[in-house]
Amino acid sequence: MEEEFKPKIVGFLCNWCSYAGADLAGVSRLKYPSTILPVRVMCSSRVDPLHIITALLKGADGVLIAGCHPGDCHYQKGNYHTRRRFALLKRVLENLGFDADRMRLSWVSASEGRRFAKVVGEFTEKIKELGPNPCREEHFL
Amino acid sequence: MSKVFKLDESVEKSVKKLLTFLLNKGRIRGALVLQKTDGNSAVAYSLITDADALASACPLCPLMPSNAASVLSRLTLQESLPEPLAVVLRPCELRGFIELVKHGQGSLDKFLFISSVCGGVYPLKMVQVDGSVGEKLPQYWDAVKRAEIAPEIRPTCRACERFVPLGADMTVATMGESGLETKCTIFLNTDKAMGFIEGMEGKLAEEKLETEAIQQHKQKRKAEKNKLYDEIGLEKYGLSGMIDMFGKCIGCHGCSQVCPICYCEVCTFESRDLEPKPAEFERDLNKKRAIRVPPDTLFYHLGRLIHVAISCVGCGSCTDVCPVDIPVSSIFLKVRESVQELFDYVPGMDPEEAVPITKFETEELVEFED
Amino acid sequence: MKGAVIQAKAGIADGILNFLKEALDKGFFDALLLPVRVPAGDSFSYILMRDTSLLDGAFPLPPVMPVQGARALSSLTRYGKGTNRIAVLMRPCEIRAAIELHKLDQVDLENIFLLSVDCPGVLPLGDYIKDPRKGDALYEKVLQEWIIRSPRWACDICDKFSMPHSDAHFGILGAPESSLFVIPGTTKGKDFLESLDIEYHTSVKSWETKVQELTEEISKKREQTLQALSRDTRGPERLLGIFSKCINCHNCMRVCPICYCRQCYFDSDALKLTPDNYLMRAQKKGALRFMPDTLLFQLGRMSHMGLSCVSCGTCEDACPMAIPVSRIFTLVADSMQEVFDYVAGRNPQDPLPQIVYKEEELKEVEKAYIETYNK
Repeated sequence: MEEEFKPKIVGFLCNWCSYAGADLAGVSRLKYPSTILPVRVMCSSRVDPLHIITALLKGADGVLIAGCHPGDCHYQKGNYHTRRRFALLKRVLENLGFDADRMRLSWVSASEGRRFAKVVGEFTEKIKELGPNPCREEHFL
Repeated sequence: MSKVFKLDESVEKSVKKLLTFLLNKGRIRGALVLQKTDGNSAVAYSLITDADALASACPLCPLMPSNAASVLSRLTLQESLPEPLAVVLRPCELRGFIELVKHGQGSLDKFLFISSVCGGVYPLKMVQVDGSVGEKLPQYWDAVKRAEIAPEIRPTCRACERFVPLGADMTVATMGESGLETKCTIFLNTDKAMGFIEGMEGKLAEEKLETEAIQQHKQKRKAEKNKLYDEIGLEKYGLSGMIDMFGKCIGCHGCSQVCPICYCEVCTFESRDLEPKPAEFERDLNKKRAIRVPPDTLFYHLGRLIHVAISCVGCGSCTDVCPVDIPVSSIFLKVRESVQELFDYVPGMDPEEAVPITKFETEELVEFED
Repeated sequence: MKGAVIQAKAGIADGILNFLKEALDKGFFDALLLPVRVPAGDSFSYILMRDTSLLDGAFPLPPVMPVQGARALSSLTRYGKGTNRIAVLMRPCEIRAAIELHKLDQVDLENIFLLSVDCPGVLPLGDYIKDPRKGDALYEKVLQEWIIRSPRWACDICDKFSMPHSDAHFGILGAPESSLFVIPGTTKGKDFLESLDIEYHTSVKSWETKVQELTEEISKKREQTLQALSRDTRGPERLLGIFSKCINCHNCMRVCPICYCRQCYFDSDALKLTPDNYLMRAQKKGALRFMPDTLLFQLGRMSHMGLSCVSCGTCEDACPMAIPVSRIFTLVADSMQEVFDYVAGRNPQDPLPQIVYKEEELKEVEKAYIETYNK
């Protein structure tokens, strides 16, 4: 029997909100899929679009960028920049016929443990629909 | 209606006459124009300070040996011009330079920008065969006169809808000008331009820049653009399509070297940080059983697209320079259009407008969040 | 010299690949680096593989050289050796470049096993890309008839087409029908053949004779060609004429295996001057070409890498303006290397001429000075 596909999702989580949110989800013993590999960043705007395509080209099935809600950024405006960069990258990948759905931007505050669990759950389902990232097996990258 | 200056000689001769006048009157210290190089059909930009040297200049030659934006950036990177300099350049080159200035790579000070309504240029590789460009010139100007798309010009130019210059002090009318062998109309877009031509022999008048012919030509270009979209079929690419397209890339990075927007002295993709170390090669090899060496071909092209798309002026230099004929610029076309549309941005239109990626609105792009 | 004879019933490529497959299966190496056709079928790229199933798409002698193998090897070992033992199959000019890069600390050869093969030359990259199928057919003929008359200039006059300083070499010339010679070049190579239980004491006289004959013939041709070229290119005017098409894309430098600097001096801030400076230079002659310093770049690059130039021709392949770069560079590099009795890539033990000196040498370059001084 074929093994069930378990996605690998790289999660860039902002230190002040989303990482704390993920922590809360854990402390509250909320159930969500263990598909996410968290990478703590000081601000979601620390995530260079190149980080995202590196993850995707290296075979990550999904990339989640999570930060404070707009207006709540610890550095006032970091997440607004994140949103522009994310939009730009997504547009580029969409136009090239890549699965742009493999990347997701979500706002999760420190108190939203439940939301974090929900975001990871939804995203994991989405990625399961998309299947494994073809880059994983590709030799000619 | 805009102010125009009319001269009684061919377009090319009139531009040279104008430059000669400006040089002789001491209103400019020099002129940057295309000039024939010795012995073959190649042209190169030349910083001309002596009016006699203008004899071999060919200001409107339909070739782009290097993007003038890069040239002007090289010229004014350290400091701005000490004295005025006239530059004859194409609309995309001017947009490229304005974009570079926004990135702190040059200064617009004391430039007199003379541009023309652009009929496009030939592929640079045409220069490989001596004399071939010269042979094409009559049919090129004939097409411009009739406001047609000249045969054999580059796909990027065929699909370019921004052939009317933005931000030029003077604009040489060409498209649909039936008498361009015997007369020339130069639009004076700024007060600065008026000051420069003062005392020159010619007629001042008023005319409309965006004529019927230009409007119709725009439609033709748009149709060509849609044709190119279909031809390239970008949205079907995906991973395998990208590998098919960029698989033959030899990693010379010529596309980034000639790109007016790629100004970084050391490109990220050539930096030490991004080069895999032996342990990383081994890790990848363990996972995939086989890897391409040197690695990261697709990463480079995708990464460059992300870095450049918002400011790309569609000059086509990248395609011109590719030794393995990858249509880089045509691939960029749809991506840049889509990205620029997203931010409602026209690169190189307004020197005062910040590059979208450096600013933000608090309420926007909510459709990208989940 | 002695070597082994191996079977190549279904052609040269097949013989080499089967041999490598066996070696990989027996665990003599952990991985192989060799050219493989890209999925679109219009070019080739070096692939590092540890799985024999991927050998099917491999080409020991691809019809073109899109990336100089030494550059691939340098990418792999620039930061030192890994734990994997890697066998690399390259053309002689690529091996020579790898040896130069090794001397320049850009390639670590310790865990690398260099395999070379008699090379009939390659096709010009630009021509091949325009019609890969036609190129394949043409190259098939080159391989069958073994005529080193590649239309590519650098290959046409290459007299170092056979065994370089590699660990083992596949001799095609003069080999008996449907077979190949494998000739060990180093103790590493001998150990390798022993570990595969291959007897390597057969005489390879027929290969040696063929190689020698061909080398002599091509050497003569090389000399004549370079002499004629020298007549046509001498003097700054002619040089300027040749490089007048140059658009400063620096592709030649990027693809050159020897030009390894991350930041080329000629792309650095050192050459970016103030507008006043450019204007003054323009005023001296009435005009200044832009980008400026084209010839400075070409001559400067030549002086930087000429002693290590292996005449592989990649620079010319990459020039979008079809400037005969490799011709000019070969012409100069050959005579530069002659001054120091140095042949780039000949032997890893030969020190780079620019880092050693003798107290008594090169009197002829001082002559003019001494003559003036003695007056």
